[in-house]
Amino acid sequence: MGIRTALWEKWIEFRDAWLRITLSAVISPLLYLIAFGYGLGGHTGADGHPYIAFLIPGVIALSSMNTGYSAVATPLNVQRLYEHSFEQILISPTPLWQYILGETFGGALRGLYVAVLVLLLSLPFGVEMHVSVLFFAVIFLNGATFAALGVLAAIMAKTHADVARFSTFVITPMTFLCNTFFSLEKLPAALKTAIGCLPLSCASSILRAVSYGEMWKLSEFLILLCYLGAFLAGTYVYTIKKKSL
Amino acid sequence: MQTREEIRGFLEVCFSVGAGENMIEITDLTKRYGGKTAVDHVNLTIEDGAFFSLLGPNGAGKTTLIGLLSTLLLPDSGEIRIDGEHVSRENTAVKRKLSVMSQEYSLRNDFMVSDILEQHGRLYGMPRAKRKEKAEELLAFCGLLDARKKTARQLSGGMKRKLMLCRALMTEPEYLILDEPTVGLDPVSRRQIWSTLYRLNEQGMTILLTTHYIEEAQILSHRVALLDSGRLCTVETPEALIAGLGSFAVDVFQNGEIATRHFAEKDTALAFAAETAGKTTLRETNLEDVFIAFAGKGIADGHSDGALGKMDRIS
Repeated sequence: MGIRTALWEKWIEFRDAWLRITLSAVISPLLYLIAFGYGLGGHTGADGHPYIAFLIPGVIALSSMNTGYSAVATPLNVQRLYEHSFEQILISPTPLWQYILGETFGGALRGLYVAVLVLLLSLPFGVEMHVSVLFFAVIFLNGATFAALGVLAAIMAKTHADVARFSTFVITPMTFLCNTFFSLEKLPAALKTAIGCLPLSCASSILRAVSYGEMWKLSEFLILLCYLGAFLAGTYVYTIKKKSL
Repeated sequence: MQTREEIRGFLEVCFSVGAGENMIEITDLTKRYGGKTAVDHVNLTIEDGAFFSLLGPNGAGKTTLIGLLSTLLLPDSGEIRIDGEHVSRENTAVKRKLSVMSQEYSLRNDFMVSDILEQHGRLYGMPRAKRKEKAEELLAFCGLLDARKKTARQLSGGMKRKLMLCRALMTEPEYLILDEPTVGLDPVSRRQIWSTLYRLNEQGMTILLTTHYIEEAQILSHRVALLDSGRLCTVETPEALIAGLGSFAVDVFQNGEIATRHFAEKDTALAFAAETAGKTTLRETNLEDVFIAFAGKGIADGHSDGALGKMDRIS
């Protein structure tokens, strides 16, 4: 009941603003591909591959992260603190875990949608990529992980600015550090391990391996799953126990 | 505005609420915000089928009490039971029986009117056909049918209130909790909503209301609770509260101020009015007098423990 309702809400949001959502979601990835792909990519390589081939899976992972997070965090925060419409979800008999899961899946689907658009935008670069079911499954999982983080951020935020701050301190550092624009191989060992365990690093790494047609690491997939589980559980416990939501 | 017969017919079709042996039981309920106690050891029972009003000055704890009933807030101590079942965020069976109309607008501004009702029906697990049918009926009844494709952002304040009432009634609740439901409505719309609430209650729906329109509470309520500084000061029928203050009131206009004295007997009131200098008006005491006397004492004393006992009454 709750999962379908949350998905339906996400669909209504998309139905009424699909052009705005689409354009705002693809503009940054497009700029990354042009600036780093065309501009920088012609002069360098990474992991033994052309830089543009390295970059595209990273930008796809990055896009699904940003879209999954922002598709949930901002609207839910507005519903909770400004519109107060989230009260109706809390009052209703819909089990909260179902609604949280529905919001998460909704964010993940939005992330998948934008990732597919980025994939299509990257076609003119002429890079040969191996795209499989696993490729899309990892995009979905990555989007779900960050959508769950978005739910948690929206529920915990005391003001609208808190969501923006959370993005500044969590999402932006991951954007630039987590295996998107450069390989972690050249980092010091400790830093490489620490950053390598972050969810976006894992998603980028798996997507890159799949797109190269190489072996991917199950451990990275499991790390992503653990993050998803932790964010979902954290959100559920917080919403059940918090005395004033 | 619909006639009473139209309202009755509509309600008979839409709300077949059966009377039972159920109730809301609030036991030793306390809620604190930091150092401030918003609800202070409240004990209250609201019987099945009652129309119950909570009155009190601003900051008395009415909205907090409703927040606790609706599980938006969790208590620091004490508990609420509905039909014997503990109220919690996880108890979906209890939540299914409740509908809450909050004091603040609580609508998704970017959703269309029809989408807002659709969402509510989905949250309560209503079948698709029932959702459509119910939404159409309620929107027609509240005069919002032509606005169903408008977003909530495009509605006037009064239309938003009506939409929130439609939403609260979508699921045919057994317990309807209303926090200032008629704020911002014009008198005609307010009366229309009173008629609706009156009929719903006649059909067995238990209604808990907070309002600053005292006339609303006096007309509709079986019992009224006066709340101040989080404490429940008294629970009585409106008639008993008025009798407690004195059934007759004399307003005295002197030195640019209005003072009101209350009398149990009309003759005593007339005699007082005759011998008092300045302009005087004799009238029947109403619930607003009770509220003003209660709230005035409460504000003057810091809190109004037993305020009714201190009110200005002459027998």
